[in-house]
Amino acid sequence: MTTLTMEKVTKQFGRNVIAVKDFDLKVKDQEFLVLLGPSGCGKTTAMRMVAGLEEVTSGQIFLGDRNITDLPPRKRNVSMIFQNYAVWPHMTVYENIAYALKLKNMDKQSIDLVVQKTSGMAKIDNLLERYPSQLSGGQQQRVAVARAIAVNPDIFLMDEPLSNLDAKLRVSMRTELKTIHHKAGATTVFVTHDQSEAMSMADRIVIMKDGEVVQIGTPDDVYHRSNSLFVADFIGTPPTNFLKVVIKKDQEGTHLKNAHLNLLLEPGTAKTLDGYSKEKLILGIRPENIILVNEEDASLSTSCLVTEPQGSHQIIAIQLDDKIIKIVAAADLKIKTGEDLHLNFKQETLRFFDPETTLALSD
Amino acid sequence: MALAINTERRRKIGKQIVPYLLVLPVLFYYIAFWARPVVQQLVQSFTSLEGQFTLNNYIMVFTDLNFLPALRNTSIIVVFSVTLEFFIALLLALLINRKFPGSGIFLFLTMIPMALPAVAVGALWKTGLTTNGWINSLLTYLGILTEGGKIYWLAGSIWKLLALMIIIDAWQVIPSIMIILLAGLQNIPKETEEAGYVFGGNYFTVLRKITLPLLSSTIQTAVILRLIAAIQIWLIVIVIVGFSRMPVLVERIVYYHEEVPRLTISPAMASGYTIIVTIIVSIAALAYLWVSGAFRRKRKEV
Amino acid sequence: MASTFKPLIKASRRTMFYLFVVSITVMIITPLFFLISLSFLSTDASYSYPLPLLPSLSENYELTTGERGYLLSLEQRNGEYKTMLDTDDMEKMAVYMKTRLSTPISIPELEELTARVDHEGTVYFKRRSDLLNNYYTFFQITRDAGPAFIRSLQIAGMTILISLSIGGLAGYAFARYTFIGKNLLKFSTLFVRMFPAIAIALPMVIILAKMGFYDQPIGLSLVYSIGSIALTIWITSSIFMGIPESLEEAAQVFGATKFQAFLRVTFPLALPGLAAAAMYAFLGAWNETVSAIILTQFNPTFSVVVYQSLVGATGQVNLAAAGGMVMAIPSVIFTFFIRRYIRQMWGGMTI
Ligand SMILES: Nc1ncnc2c1ncn2[C@@H]1O[C@H](COP(=O)(O)OP(=O)(O)OP(=O)(O)O)[C@@H](O)[C@H]1O
Ligand SMILES: [Mg+2]
Repeated sequence: MTTLTMEKVTKQFGRNVIAVKDFDLKVKDQEFLVLLGPSGCGKTTAMRMVAGLEEVTSGQIFLGDRNITDLPPRKRNVSMIFQNYAVWPHMTVYENIAYALKLKNMDKQSIDLVVQKTSGMAKIDNLLERYPSQLSGGQQQRVAVARAIAVNPDIFLMDEPLSNLDAKLRVSMRTELKTIHHKAGATTVFVTHDQSEAMSMADRIVIMKDGEVVQIGTPDDVYHRSNSLFVADFIGTPPTNFLKVVIKKDQEGTHLKNAHLNLLLEPGTAKTLDGYSKEKLILGIRPENIILVNEEDASLSTSCLVTEPQGSHQIIAIQLDDKIIKIVAAADLKIKTGEDLHLNFKQETLRFFDPETTLALSD
Repeated sequence: MALAINTERRRKIGKQIVPYLLVLPVLFYYIAFWARPVVQQLVQSFTSLEGQFTLNNYIMVFTDLNFLPALRNTSIIVVFSVTLEFFIALLLALLINRKFPGSGIFLFLTMIPMALPAVAVGALWKTGLTTNGWINSLLTYLGILTEGGKIYWLAGSIWKLLALMIIIDAWQVIPSIMIILLAGLQNIPKETEEAGYVFGGNYFTVLRKITLPLLSSTIQTAVILRLIAAIQIWLIVIVIVGFSRMPVLVERIVYYHEEVPRLTISPAMASGYTIIVTIIVSIAALAYLWVSGAFRRKRKEV
Repeated sequence: MASTFKPLIKASRRTMFYLFVVSITVMIITPLFFLISLSFLSTDASYSYPLPLLPSLSENYELTTGERGYLLSLEQRNGEYKTMLDTDDMEKMAVYMKTRLSTPISIPELEELTARVDHEGTVYFKRRSDLLNNYYTFFQITRDAGPAFIRSLQIAGMTILISLSIGGLAGYAFARYTFIGKNLLKFSTLFVRMFPAIAIALPMVIILAKMGFYDQPIGLSLVYSIGSIALTIWITSSIFMGIPESLEEAAQVFGATKFQAFLRVTFPLALPGLAAAAMYAFLGAWNETVSAIILTQFNPTFSVVVYQSLVGATGQVNLAAAGGMVMAIPSVIFTFFIRRYIRQMWGGMTI
């Protein structure tokens, strides 16, 4: 196992499409790193360049201190789980794993040993004689996992390996993949466009947009300290609420105002705005950080548009002009549609974004 | 450094070249064995025996006594057999359009006539249409012909023979057109037709307004491919009717090449007829490619 | 009221439907049935009218003394005996019984029978018919039928080799790469495929003669491959498109070269489709007649031989039927194997 370093990696298709742009990344030894981003942002392309299935247009890729930029796939010692698993349909489960090992010039006996060990790990040791067509989607996925572990690679690449599974199996496979990752101690790059998958599995998340890295950080970082409107919006369900406000300073302190809102910032929070000279601002607040208060403590008063019970909690939607704001509240709170609501914000969780650059004002 | 860039670039070019290397053999093959003979044929048809440019070859064909009859007979066969076959096949396909026990075997059986080599079809009908053949025998067994009675299938006017050719062709071809249409019908989602009924259509309005329009590309495919084949009918004509009695275009080519190869006009006649057939078929083929969208798609991608 | 009739209406509808299907089937099968039956008939039976529906499996004979030697009579369908031959030449009688009546018999056997006639007077005996007699005879008396059969197989084999190797490569390129001129080439293959065979055959006489391939099997395979390459490209490209590229990529990631990955992963998966393409190439070469007539002289193909036996009008319908059957059998068998592809192809041809 080893580290992966990508330096200013760019991939251009044809004349116009730049799928990945100046991609800089350092994956630590044994780290589980997730590439997250909306569809078409270049995650797969980035991963395929690491595997050698796509040539880089410019930039360098290192595995440990080995420069692999121009090596063909077979010389890189990586292993990959494809979105459609790419389990070879004309080989049995055993042969699928064994063939990958044979390509590494392993002798028959050791192959047998490794197949037994890894298939046990992936819980498919009772399916070794079957052909992929006789397996369920989940089982095929495990074959792909077993095959990938068996070859003892320097790094694991996984391209949305769970996206073809049904919702329940997907969640349980997350846990299993994590367990296997711990046991094998493998450096892993995992691609997904499902942010909850990313949050639950990652040591660190790389958020991409239009081929570029937007933020790199732990799940906690990207959730609580989103560095841009894009990340704050992309991460979390429901996503962060955004309010367009103007900054008004008077003797009381700093107010954030719009047609509905009049929020007096606490001094500690107001300090974040020091050095920000523009008048307009976007305020970001996560749904669980909006609290119901008495009328006199409210910064915002409105009426309930609709409630969506979720079992463990409920989501309350309110409408401000043409924007829907969502609030996460306790499940036992009885609120009716149309009922007046008085709201305030947990000030320490507020995020401020520059409307022009869309970047956050603090880290 | 410069060296590294060089090898890298060379590798990239090498990779891009792969698809061209893969299609190169086809290209060479087509040039050597398709384009070359076609061009040679064309050039030769405008060349006199002395090597001069001439239109004589064509004049000779056009003034050939058998040219107009051959053109007429071929046209009649093409027009009648294609329309007849198409409408019957469409009717059959609409009636059969469902899965039923034994449909697999049925479909296989319907494919057999199309799979038969032309000479086998020739044998089939040659043995049937002679006066002592199996058709008269069958009619006798069925009681349609009295004992010892015979129908002289091959005697009489050219019109009767043309009708026979059309029927034989229909026997061989209708089942396969039916299969094409069935495949097309089965690709139409059921819901589309059902929607037609829900909104108040009866069987025929739904057929006319929904089913047939959706089937139109399949129909065009079937008809034009059939057309191309029908233009080139020859073997069955020679086997059943013999040379020259009911001339058709390709039959003329074989006639001049096989039956009277030593006449001085023979090579010119054979090549003249060949060019005419080629032109007609090429027009039909281009029409096919046009309706199947080969041109349209190209434009879009460019 | 209406509800009591409903099942009845339904049942009668279904009966109608099956009647309809069966009558189509009968129309298709009847001519085939007669061709098959005719190919098994003895020459004598094939001259009778109306033709028997089925070949007889054995014949009953009467043998008595005749004016010139022995008189051989054959039992007819109505039970009467009809005189066939009056001779004392046993060899002639044996040949007659084999070629005209499809009941082979050896001369010693005949001599034994005539001895009994000398002894007991009239003798009745029964001989099994040799149903394949017409097939043997066709190959024996038709000049060249045997070598032509072999030649046709050779030609088909070479056509498969040429079109699969050349067409398969292009099919792979069509499925996996985008390149300049791809559409033009696709278009050309369609056009070439529809081009009349005769338009190529005629000028090919000179070209093949220059190459020394005129009247040679290889010459015809070269001509047949023109059309079947196009078909092979369509079939193989759709096959390769159906095999996910990621299967090959997986092999590459796990240590295979591009070529190994193709050989070990894509190729085995493509085999059924390649087999179908091969069968198409076979059928094209086997069934073709007009180019074969033009491009052969002393070494005709089997289809030319059958064609000539039909046109030559030797009048032996049972032999013609046997020849036609030999032509038809491979085609029908192969069609059975590729029927799945035929339907796909027709569907796919509109593109
Ligand atoms: N071979 C190619 N040729 C041209 N453009 C390509 C090619 N492969 C990818 N692209 C383009 O590059 C961009 C990034 O594609 P990529 O497959 O990496 O996205 P992704 O993030 O994996 O998306 P998804 O979540 O949908 O899988 C897309 O705009 C895509 O259209
Ligand atoms: Mg992707």
